Amino acid sequence: MVTNSMELRFKATLKNESLARTAVISFIESLHPTAEIVGELKTIVSEAVSNAIIHGYHLDASKDVYVKGDIEDDVLSLIISDYGQGIKDIDLALTPHYTTRPDLERAGMGLTIIESLSDSFKIRSVINMGTRVMVTKKIVSAEEKVTDDVGQ
Amino acid sequence: MENKIKISKFDDGLVIKISGDLDSYKTLSYKTKILQAMEKNEPLFLLFDLKDLTFLDSAGIGLILGRYNDIKRVGGQVGLVGLSSYAAKIVKISGLSSVIKTYKSVAQFKKEVRV
Ligand SMILES: Nc1ncnc2c1ncn2[C@@H]1O[C@H](COP(=O)(O)OP(=O)(O)O)[C@@H](O)[C@H]1O
Ligand SMILES: [Mg+2]
Repeated sequence: MVTNSMELRFKATLKNESLARTAVISFIESLHPTAEIVGELKTIVSEAVSNAIIHGYHLDASKDVYVKGDIEDDVLSLIISDYGQGIKDIDLALTPHYTTRPDLERAGMGLTIIESLSDSFKIRSVINMGTRVMVTKKIVSAEEKVTDDVGQ
Repeated sequence: MENKIKISKFDDGLVIKISGDLDSYKTLSYKTKILQAMEKNEPLFLLFDLKDLTFLDSAGIGLILGRYNDIKRVGGQVGLVGLSSYAAKIVKISGLSSVIKTYKSVAQFKKEVRV
């Protein structure tokens, strides 16, 4: 059962990256996440959002980026979507160090980082229709962790 | 934590201290600042002090990797100091840790690169 949900829409400018990070972190606040989880989630959100803005929309601030979040028990699901240019070859895009924007000093590691930091990761993309990144992450609570540590 | 960059000189190196969030937005202005300081001082050594960093993603990795490539061209060295376990994880996943070493302190870096 979904116990909480949120949706966020904002203009495709890099200034809004911190808005997206902050919103997702306040959304999970009631689950008392560990500092580690907070950091990792901020990175996941920023990678997906910056991809939407830079690659999906080529920094066209008239376009919109969408972030949707659901909490079910202690699992957060996030969907980050853009209606931009889409990805021609997803396998290639997922290859570590592959980037179509070396001119911007992109490291080509964004999708790899999202995949390693999340519990499940899916990406769907259609040329000229857009891209959708779906991740889930179990929110380990700081209180739970204390109990576990004591138990060991 | 306020987002800021502070660049200070030591011998023929620069310590680049980045505090707060290092995201795609901040890397744009930080890159210009670092390049200006590098042009002026022509350093052989760069040490990124990330002790007060609260956010890191592949944009920051790209910024550091870009300066590593600049310094490699002049035969110098780049190091990292002050990584939290979260930042260390991003550095590891991104592969940055396989090209750039992490040091315990600014002093340790200065000592080791002198050898
Ligand atoms: N939302 C998106 N829209 C269009 N292309 C994308 C999107 N996300 C990723 N890509 C493509 O996948 C490549 C790899 O992405 P990523 O791993 O985040 O590396 P980087 O952002 O550093 O290029 C990008 O260079 C881009 O070509
Ligand atoms: Mg990216």
